[in-house]
Amino acid sequence: MHQTSISKNQNIKAYIFLLCGFLFFAVGLAKAQGNYTLSGTVKDQSNGETLFGASVFLKGTTVGVITNEYGFYSISAPKGTYTLIVSYMGYLEISKEVVLDTNQKIDFEIEEFSTRLEEVVVTGEETERVNLRKPEMSVSKLNIKTVKQMPVVLGEVDIIKSLQMLPGVTKNGEGSSGFNVRGGAVDQNLVLLDEAIIYNTSHLLGFFSVFNADAIKDIKLYKGGIPARFGGRVSSVLDVRQKDGNNKDFSLTGGIGLISSRIAAEGPILKDKGSFLVAGRGSYIHLFLKAANNKNSVNFYDLNLKTNYNLNENNKFFLSGYFGRDAFDFGNSFDSSYGNMSGNLRWNHIFNDRLFSNVSLILSKYDYDLGFAQQQFEWVSSINNYNVKYDLKYYASDAFKLDFGASAIYYDFDPGQIRPTAETSSVNPRSLDRKKALESGLYLNAEHKLTDKLTAQYGLRYSAFSRLGGQAMTDYENNQPVVYNSTLGIYQRGTAIGETNFEKGKTIKRFGNFEPRVSLAYQLNESSSVKAGYSRAAQYIHLLSNTTSVTPLDVWTPSGQFIEPLLSDQYALGYFRDFADKKYSLEAEVYYKTVDNRIDYIDGSDLIGTNTIETEILIGESRAYGLELLARKNEGKLTGWLSYTLSKSEQRTPGGKAGGLGINNGDWYSTPYDRTHDFSLTGAYQLNEKWSFGTNLVFQTGRPVTYPNGQYEYEGLSIASYSDRNSDRLPAYHRLDISATYKPNRKPNKRWKGEWVFGIYNVYNQKNAASISFGQNVETGANEATRTAIFGIVPSATYNFKF
Amino acid sequence: MKNFSKCILPLLAVILASCEDVIDVDVQTAPTRLTIEASLDWEKGTAGNEQTIKLGTSTPYFDTNGNTAVSGASVRVTNDTSGREVVFADQNDGTYTTSDFAPVVGQSYTLEVRYNGETYTATEQLTPVTDIKEINQSLEDGFSDEELEVNIIFDDPEDEENYYLFKFQEPDDLLPEFEYGDDEFVNGNEIEWYFEKEEDDGTDEIEAFVPGDTINIEFYGISEAYSNYMAILIDQLEGGGLFETTPVALKGNCINLTNPENYANGYFRLTQVIKTSYTFE
Repeated sequence: MHQTSISKNQNIKAYIFLLCGFLFFAVGLAKAQGNYTLSGTVKDQSNGETLFGASVFLKGTTVGVITNEYGFYSISAPKGTYTLIVSYMGYLEISKEVVLDTNQKIDFEIEEFSTRLEEVVVTGEETERVNLRKPEMSVSKLNIKTVKQMPVVLGEVDIIKSLQMLPGVTKNGEGSSGFNVRGGAVDQNLVLLDEAIIYNTSHLLGFFSVFNADAIKDIKLYKGGIPARFGGRVSSVLDVRQKDGNNKDFSLTGGIGLISSRIAAEGPILKDKGSFLVAGRGSYIHLFLKAANNKNSVNFYDLNLKTNYNLNENNKFFLSGYFGRDAFDFGNSFDSSYGNMSGNLRWNHIFNDRLFSNVSLILSKYDYDLGFAQQQFEWVSSINNYNVKYDLKYYASDAFKLDFGASAIYYDFDPGQIRPTAETSSVNPRSLDRKKALESGLYLNAEHKLTDKLTAQYGLRYSAFSRLGGQAMTDYENNQPVVYNSTLGIYQRGTAIGETNFEKGKTIKRFGNFEPRVSLAYQLNESSSVKAGYSRAAQYIHLLSNTTSVTPLDVWTPSGQFIEPLLSDQYALGYFRDFADKKYSLEAEVYYKTVDNRIDYIDGSDLIGTNTIETEILIGESRAYGLELLARKNEGKLTGWLSYTLSKSEQRTPGGKAGGLGINNGDWYSTPYDRTHDFSLTGAYQLNEKWSFGTNLVFQTGRPVTYPNGQYEYEGLSIASYSDRNSDRLPAYHRLDISATYKPNRKPNKRWKGEWVFGIYNVYNQKNAASISFGQNVETGANEATRTAIFGIVPSATYNFKF
Repeated sequence: MKNFSKCILPLLAVILASCEDVIDVDVQTAPTRLTIEASLDWEKGTAGNEQTIKLGTSTPYFDTNGNTAVSGASVRVTNDTSGREVVFADQNDGTYTTSDFAPVVGQSYTLEVRYNGETYTATEQLTPVTDIKEINQSLEDGFSDEELEVNIIFDDPEDEENYYLFKFQEPDDLLPEFEYGDDEFVNGNEIEWYFEKEEDDGTDEIEAFVPGDTINIEFYGISEAYSNYMAILIDQLEGGGLFETTPVALKGNCINLTNPENYANGYFRLTQVIKTSYTFE
């Protein structure tokens, strides 16, 4: 256990002192150079969207930078005349003579290749390619264009499914919410949509993701080496950013698919000082069901909003929002809905040509409700958070850049309320205790070019968490919420001996953690480099789930008296190489990750409707390690990648203060997301201007599950006895998908552009087991194993348009 | 809450063209264990003196050789207050019987089974059950408003935590169906417990109730510990499903004094039960 619940104030003071020290150092460093600075923004010429990850550099020097999330760059160099190059893969390169004798501001607009060239040239996206020099590693990037080309089930473009084609990312089967990164649990991923936390990334229990590709600009997944500006989750950060909206012309894009349709409108507003984007998507499965005279209904929709306003060249405001919901209705007896809601107001302020800042006010909410019409009650549960962030980036010099900032998140957890919906209901109203908490963070991160070949990124995050009062906490005999009954050999709920009431304004428990993050890149030669990284991360909130798959009904809970924060340490080492003038690239990484204080569930745990979660759980640890390989072909008519991961993910839960050996006798056992082998091949082939094709091939080891190891007769039934947890595996999962995109002849001046996307998911109709259940045949009484396979062969057709 | 996963999956199955089929699976085989089915149920309104305890052994999961009966064991139950001991006679077919049992509500009893040189023991209290006020039928009250259900109506005693076990079986059914419940959210209220059979469109195996059908109903008052045991047992009857709780080891209250690792499957339960039946009109 690394956790220390020390006096918070002292640490923060120490930290601020440290931060100031760093700043003075950085400013001094910058001043000493006496250079001139060139700064500005890089945008797409066609729609004015800012470009994240474009490279801006001075030809013939090592001076260069990559644009940030808002398209901003700042470089400095000694007085002189230079050729400035702005490049972004898929776009025409711009070069410009600059005479650097004063600080200056230059904005660039660059043009996409395909809009101009007659010849079909396909290139990978810069954002997806390896940057040899940058110490950034363990990052998966996907351009939204690539995502849209990949074959998908029922034609629904799905960012999360696309990410699974990259090494280190898996999913617990088709009917499961969320995704797993490097052997970590679903709740260990920080999913951000325009900086707002998204608590559930799935529609229809995991069949589709909540991200509408038409509204998304770029996607970045940090599997490790998480920059110090992110905190709160131990396995990964998925940073998804919405488009700002076209600020040149009004445009409409949309698509009509088999189960849903989508439309997005964007355009300039306020005399071209701003732009907006509104994107909506809705499913119409319920209409088919109605037509088929089925009284059940299932439905989902989402709405993305974004607008921005340029007050002047140094101040820009953004407002973004997301609303998404799923609704199920089963005849007249039962209905349920759940969804995410988020909003974010941002202010980009450029203090000067070297100091960029952003303030964000963010709120997000996830909630679900269940209605039981016959029993006349409803059940509601939610998590709300309010978040303030202030992030700054200081471009001290070409060799030294500094990120620093602070954030605070206030959480309000409502684990559940039961409300009778009629006076005749036999159910008593009841509310579980609301839980409140405050999480805050301070960070400092330096990107430091130590020599021409060696670049370092080092930083420190200090995070603090207070579980706030305003509720009573149960006290247990011997302070044991769970007790090992050595006679029966089982874990049981502890004996409550009273309650301690914590007033509002009091703190129930406080935690604080230093989280160092370091990575190094050493360029071996023009085309290869090695990188190494270490990072520590703390996570203060936990998703409770004892089911085979994560479901939308799982409830989040904060750390407190009985649940310690998760703490992870990850080490990674990588080798990166370009071949044949960047036509091909290879990325190889190994990682080792440990997570302390992982929640595990006692046999027979009941997580729904209980105030005292601590009586259902034990605290353990997990570890994961693996090798990830990614080979890409970046250019030519045929592009794509091959990804392979060899890994192991295990957990162990000793009895601790409850006594006994622990779960599974305290031995290490596989987590449900352990996949020994995970292989995938993704390809895109551009035949001509009209036709292009895509394919996916996936093979992975089956999911660890628990099978019976015997049976006995009891009360007229055959009862299964089960093996140790997760000591069996589902059969291996494999699948082939193909897609074809047809773009009809276009007259150059016609605004309407349409395309057809045809796809076949699971071409050879492999019945991949989503689960195997065991039970007795009701007619013969014999035991049998029943496989549930979700998607067999699924053809689809989608029409997309742009106006 | 369980209903949610129970019904969403079949629905999605229809929509998303999923399929279920029976397949061959290799499973592990654990060493054989003794099973003790010591269900001392005192039917309300009877003397409760006649009782049977069944002993058997576990078999590999897919084994279809039915005969697992254990003979030659010695079985006795002791009243923990009076010390009165009742010996169950071996019928040489896996059952052990007595007509001397004296049930007392709230009384603690101890079971002792000696078999193969090992001694198994368990202790449990006899739990009472409240009376059924009414049994009726309806169409709209259950999960589906197109299928008939039977409703069992009773008053939950307010002063204590109550745990209930229901057993439903039609005369033609091979397997009984069990349901469990407690008064956590309905303490002190009149409870209407419904039981409905849902038509299985895929197979003809399960059919909804129609007028003329008779359903046998058994309503047990059970202890909290036994309720926890049956909760796991019932939830795992179709173990391993997509949204189901991960299956876990199921341990009853029969411990092995000689060799603790070699505990017995099954349970020593003492309940009060109401047995009745209902014929749909």
